[in-house]
Amino acid sequence: MKKFAINEEFLQQVELLQLMIKNNVSGMFGGNHKSKTFGSSCEFSDYRDYIAGDDTTKIDWNAYARFEKLYLKLYNDERQMHNKIYIDASRSMAYGKGKKDEQALKIAATLAYLSVGEMDKVSVYAVHGKETEAVVSGMLGKESYINNIGKLNEIEFDGDSFLSDALLPTNVGYGDGMSVIISDFLTDNNFETAIDHLASKKRDILCIQVLSKEELNPKVRGKMHFFDSEDTQKFYRKNINREIAKAYKQALDYATGRIRDYCAARGADYLLISAEENVTEVFFHKFVNAGVLK
Amino acid sequence: MTLLYPLGLLGLIGIPVLIIIYIIKNKYTEQVISSTYLWTLSERFLKRRNPINKIAGIISLILQILAVIFISFAIAHPVFILSNAANEYCFILDGSGSMNIAQNGKTRLEIGKERIASVIKDSANGSKFSLVFVGNTTDILYEAIENKDQAVSILNGVSSAYVDAGFTGALGVAQSYFQEKPSILTYLVTDKAYESSQNVEIINVSSHETNYGIAGVEYVVSGGKIVVSGKAMSYEGDATLNLSLRFDELSEVAATQELEVKKLEETDFSFEVDNRSFSSFKVTLENEDALSLDNECIVYSVEAENSYEVLIVSESPFFLEAVLSTVGNAQISVVSPEGYANVTGYDLYIFDSVNLTALPADGAVWIFNPQSSIPDAGFSVQDKLEFSESAVLSYTDEEKLSDSEAKLLKGLLKSDVAVSDYVQCGSGNFTVLMTHDGNPVLFTGLNAHGNREVVFAFDLHRSNFPAMLDFTTLSQNLLRYTFPNVIDKTSYYCGEKVQISVPAGCKSIKVDTPLGNVAYLDTNSAYSEYELTEVGNYRFTMTVGDTVRTPIRVYSSLPESERETSVTEVSFALEGEASNEKSDGKYDDMLYLFILLAVIVLADWGVYCYEQYQLR
Repeated sequence: MKKFAINEEFLQQVELLQLMIKNNVSGMFGGNHKSKTFGSSCEFSDYRDYIAGDDTTKIDWNAYARFEKLYLKLYNDERQMHNKIYIDASRSMAYGKGKKDEQALKIAATLAYLSVGEMDKVSVYAVHGKETEAVVSGMLGKESYINNIGKLNEIEFDGDSFLSDALLPTNVGYGDGMSVIISDFLTDNNFETAIDHLASKKRDILCIQVLSKEELNPKVRGKMHFFDSEDTQKFYRKNINREIAKAYKQALDYATGRIRDYCAARGADYLLISAEENVTEVFFHKFVNAGVLK
Repeated sequence: MTLLYPLGLLGLIGIPVLIIIYIIKNKYTEQVISSTYLWTLSERFLKRRNPINKIAGIISLILQILAVIFISFAIAHPVFILSNAANEYCFILDGSGSMNIAQNGKTRLEIGKERIASVIKDSANGSKFSLVFVGNTTDILYEAIENKDQAVSILNGVSSAYVDAGFTGALGVAQSYFQEKPSILTYLVTDKAYESSQNVEIINVSSHETNYGIAGVEYVVSGGKIVVSGKAMSYEGDATLNLSLRFDELSEVAATQELEVKKLEETDFSFEVDNRSFSSFKVTLENEDALSLDNECIVYSVEAENSYEVLIVSESPFFLEAVLSTVGNAQISVVSPEGYANVTGYDLYIFDSVNLTALPADGAVWIFNPQSSIPDAGFSVQDKLEFSESAVLSYTDEEKLSDSEAKLLKGLLKSDVAVSDYVQCGSGNFTVLMTHDGNPVLFTGLNAHGNREVVFAFDLHRSNFPAMLDFTTLSQNLLRYTFPNVIDKTSYYCGEKVQISVPAGCKSIKVDTPLGNVAYLDTNSAYSEYELTEVGNYRFTMTVGDTVRTPIRVYSSLPESERETSVTEVSFALEGEASNEKSDGKYDDMLYLFILLAVIVLADWGVYCYEQYQLR
């Protein structure tokens, strides 16, 4: 069982940040996020001409006295979002010296904390094979967070994962929040369809690729016979020399670049995070620099 | 290509062994990683055009297999045959005395050896070499050998002789080689010019060096003077020569002379000095030239080399002292019979009317009027015959004697010798020279010690013999018999033989040569010969009995014919028709093979380090 070590002090620092939502969201009332549509909050937004049938209580009589024309007073609408975090729970996330699974859980927990701090709903899902398993569903408020966030430790990282096959049948919502995918994306399996699907549902998308230091900068040399942790039928047998190491770097750049480009083309955010990086550094620098937090 | 040691290829067995070891040992490190996705993807970015990548994993194995192959072949020692590339060479090297002439610090012989070595080194591998060295004798130092280093090494080991060497033997050897193989290349390396040659390449190492020499040095004593004479020669031009004379190996010059000589004309010289006792003198030519061996000549006194010591044991030695002083080169000591007791160290012991119990073992013996039989004497004493009137002795007929025995009676007038008594003796195997009524009264022979012995069976003082001229003549003959001259002369030329008369009882004759060599002569015969092959002083040391005698010295000069700097011979020709047939050359230089092997081993080491320590 994985442990996450996000302490209270860290959470208090993170609380100061607000999750920035780039797109207009349509959601339920009551949230702290301002909507582009007009609603019933106390915050004045604009005037418009009165149309028959409008609520007469919102007519600005002072303006009528000055201009002798009926204007309707408009107020910003505030909505509550439902953020959904999908954690790739395949074995590749947990194998080896790297702590990708631990890093993934920390990031998910932190994002969830930020969301509940914004009075948003948060759900956390573990992707196993072609299915999504709701670990925490509709978590709202810090009390609920405290009560439920420990469930993340129960996620078993095993087997393979098919993000598209898992996400498509589920209710991902529509325009009411952010969808976060945390994975190493080290797979041939299709994940592009999942991103497209989320984009079509007007969701803010954040893809976080977590790779270990070994994967980012492998030091291994010599005659090696690698077996894939998810499928032992897959193997790689080579005398690893400088040429192959160079080719690996190129392959890494290609793989990460492909995801980044795909996300950019769909208006999604993308972050590459090392499993060995400190979570505080991740949020205060990478997330801020990427504009995900402000 | 052939292999000198084909069994060396057994080393190739190491290749399959190497492969098996490689298979067993060369395992990949297995490791489960989170995902092989990126590694598999990296294949797309490899430069597939580099074929080395395909064999990168077995480069070390390939290098090791190559190393095993090269080591095996190195042991097997491959020899590559190059058809019609090699020749056969025959070198005839003149090692005569004139090859000692030096120019710029190098003798002609050394220059000749360098020329031959150059030909050997420039020849194709697989060529065969024969070397005939003409020195004191004609020697085939090697015959048809292929090893160049060995050929040059043996060549460098030869040194010139000092004799007048002829090429007759060498010509015969070369002719036999030529008949056997008409394509053989024959080189004659000499300092003589040849008017013509056939099938021989003459390498003349002469360069007309300056040389002077002296020869034929001798002396006579006349009119209270010693006259030393000889002849001098200049071989390359007219010159003024400075000569000096020294006696007894002293540095003090006794006489000098300046002599004008013309080219190749013998010019006599002589020194006249006061008579003196000497054992040797040396004539030195002081001018510097290219050959120092002929610039001095030492002459030893024959008399000095042949002197001897005599002990007379007698109450009345007058007659004997007188005659020995007259005819011999003796140092005489006299002792009375009572005073004689086991004295040693003399060359001749003379006992006159002495009752002896034993003979000395280290010298010759003359016995006058023996008193009794003496053990080991070889004769027996019987009665003493006395005559009221004198008895006349008669000489043995010379025709009954051998030539050497007859020399003992040579020059005698054979006047009547009258004695009043004599001792009747049994002479055994002795040579009887005088008798009376068939009884030997003068006889000679060897005693049991092997020493020469003369017996007078009568008392000199009771005969008329001492007063006769024959006594002197007979004494001289008997001294020559007792002490034959060990050598007749002391000056020789290299190549001549010294004849040494072996003294009785001589156990050994040791020869010390000028160059420090030592030889021992045969002492079992009356004469022993020794050929002089070096220039300088020879010492012949004889051990007679237990006594080591003073060495006898002779001087050996360079032959006059070897002093000439420019000699032209008529012809050196090998009869027959030469051919251009060549034999197969061989290339078996292992150096490149070893260099290649070293490169492979180093490369393998580099690959090992690259793989082991990731030097990248």
